[in-house]
Amino acid sequence: MKRRSFLKSGLAATSLLAAPSMLKPAFAAAPVTIHGLKSMSGAFASYGQFAEMGSKLAVQDFGPLLGAKPEYVTIDTEGNPGKAVRKVQEAIQGGAKFFDGCTLSSTALAVGKEVAKGGGVFMTPAGADEITGTECNASTFRWTVPTYGAIQETVRPLFKAEPKKKKWYTITPQYVFGDALLTAAKDVFKDLGIEHVGNSYHSTQEQEFSGYLTNAMAAQPDVLLILNFGGQASNCLRQAISFGLKKQMTILIAWTAGLDWFQSLGPDLLEGVYLGAQYWHQVDNPTNNALVKRVKEVYGITANYPLAADYIGTKVILEAIKKAGSTDGKAVAKAMEGMSYDGPTGKEMIRAQDHQVIKDYYLLKGKAKSEMKDADDYATLISSGQSFPQGDKIACKMV
Amino acid sequence: MKRLMTSKGLFGGTTLAVLAILVLLPLVLPSATLATEIVIFAMAALACNLLLGYGGLLSFGQGLFFGAGSYLSALAMIHGGVGLVTALVIAIVAGALIATFVGMLSIRRTGIYFVMLTLAFSQTGYFLAYTLSKWTGGDNGLLDVPRPGLSLFGVDLVDLKGAHAYYVFVALIFMAVYVGARRVIDSPFGSTLVAIRENESRASAVGFDTRHFKMLAFTLSGAVTALAGALYGMLINYVPLDNIAMAMSENIVIMTVIGGTGSLLGSLLGAGTLVLMGEILSSIWPRWPLLLGVLLILIVVFLRGGVWGGVESLIGRMTRKDEA
Repeated sequence: MKRRSFLKSGLAATSLLAAPSMLKPAFAAAPVTIHGLKSMSGAFASYGQFAEMGSKLAVQDFGPLLGAKPEYVTIDTEGNPGKAVRKVQEAIQGGAKFFDGCTLSSTALAVGKEVAKGGGVFMTPAGADEITGTECNASTFRWTVPTYGAIQETVRPLFKAEPKKKKWYTITPQYVFGDALLTAAKDVFKDLGIEHVGNSYHSTQEQEFSGYLTNAMAAQPDVLLILNFGGQASNCLRQAISFGLKKQMTILIAWTAGLDWFQSLGPDLLEGVYLGAQYWHQVDNPTNNALVKRVKEVYGITANYPLAADYIGTKVILEAIKKAGSTDGKAVAKAMEGMSYDGPTGKEMIRAQDHQVIKDYYLLKGKAKSEMKDADDYATLISSGQSFPQGDKIACKMV
Repeated sequence: MKRLMTSKGLFGGTTLAVLAILVLLPLVLPSATLATEIVIFAMAALACNLLLGYGGLLSFGQGLFFGAGSYLSALAMIHGGVGLVTALVIAIVAGALIATFVGMLSIRRTGIYFVMLTLAFSQTGYFLAYTLSKWTGGDNGLLDVPRPGLSLFGVDLVDLKGAHAYYVFVALIFMAVYVGARRVIDSPFGSTLVAIRENESRASAVGFDTRHFKMLAFTLSGAVTALAGALYGMLINYVPLDNIAMAMSENIVIMTVIGGTGSLLGSLLGAGTLVLMGEILSSIWPRWPLLLGVLLILIVVFLRGGVWGGVESLIGRMTRKDEA
């Protein structure tokens, strides 16, 4: 056989042998892709990295879905709503349908609108009540307990535990989120007969709280209720403690970011402070225990709020696709409505009326360093419960 | 090559280079939406360049004009039901009026005092938008901003819902703004602005009312920046509070400096560099703005003419080598 003929025959034979493997991908089902909207860079990068871990883990552990292993793609929101919306538009143009995440409420609101236009599904742990309230839509779902529930599940149990403390002072960031918490707090005060001895409003850019804390001291309250969040709550608490307020009154921060925030403050600051939380790794239920164990195995850390929130958000979308047996956005959204499942906070349910996940909110109390059983044992679980607006109080008018 | 790029004709020289870039952008970038964002920010940087590059005026009030254009055009469409052209005209007029007001009070001061006044106005605008949350959405931003089609006298001409159609519309507006800006720069008004930048006392001594010229430049810059803001709101169907924040003013100035002050084409390069840096580097390293800082330092220290200055210098060297 001539050399050229041999080569030709060899090539033809190899092609025939390779043909089945080349054809296989063409007939295999296209994998379901979840797009994670995470602030991987910018001001909220640390949060985004945990959130990404959660979504990745949920996809990785899910198993085959509609005949193929699901896939995951991160979209970096850069902590910038404008950039996030533009990137989501691009993803939708490229065929993306399923989205999970968004740290910032403003980003989540705008992204929710885009996903709804594209006929997809979006699950978010963002804080703005409007997501499942006045700005709700058929595609957007929210895991986080609203401001109403956060106040009900922190102020009420604290007052029950310390009923003699009837004079409360509030420090509030002056924007939609802060006002929503304050309104909810005033309603509970009225209901419980608590005297609201004063409130200090501050801007969202404020980092210096001494003036507000002095006002609080002058009002001589029994409880200081801090209604700001994240870095502002850290600074407010640090300054309150340096002013000696912890010895003079009980301090409650109604909405904290959970474990990673506690780690940044340390036990000396947190000891004796009451803390509201959306998630706590020590909550004892089979799903949470399994999640905590798995996160330790894969990432070597203790599960925290952003990780757990984005894990369960992603998992719920995957479960709904499985239930719907389709990747049609409308069918998947329909499958999510009324869905009950075992989540990291126990039994969770998606309310069909406003797409709000009905789940527990926690009241914790900071432990002394000497009481901590491990490096992440920052707080004792005081109480948990579910409080959500009902009936006419639900602002969502689903279209 | 050098002769082509430095041609003085209004429709030749760098205008052709801009046209070529505008045609290539949606073809080489992963999406037309990304290309549109670059062109919109290039428009804002170009307006800043009119002030900084030609008038020597460093304004941190550009975010105020950009945000005002976004909010007012969006509100006019949402509550007034106006069409695309009217919304854009509202943005341009509002931007010009706000800039005139800010300019009237700021132009009287020079140097750091001028910069601080523009900064103060910018912050005032931010807190105004933040406080008027019933209109602006406050911290949540203004949602449901429409992107109507192009219609004239009640006749629908083009549907702009598609990403490519909207890119073409924005690119055509940018082209018109670019040619208009070149016309302004090449006019006696532009030459006088440069004279003021170089030596205001001397320009004043030879009889020019320097305040009047600076005011006009400020008004023009405000109008174009507001137009860019309106187009951005329509692109993302949303006006985030960030549009009127301090960071927006900073970004516009950074794009101008990176691209090259005193070069209108540089504005397009500067906007492209900043937007693409964020796009590419953010997925590689969360702290990518650090690299932006390094780039800015390098440009200020070694490349005073920005990216375009570097390109010009390269073309110059190549031409000299060819001639030798």
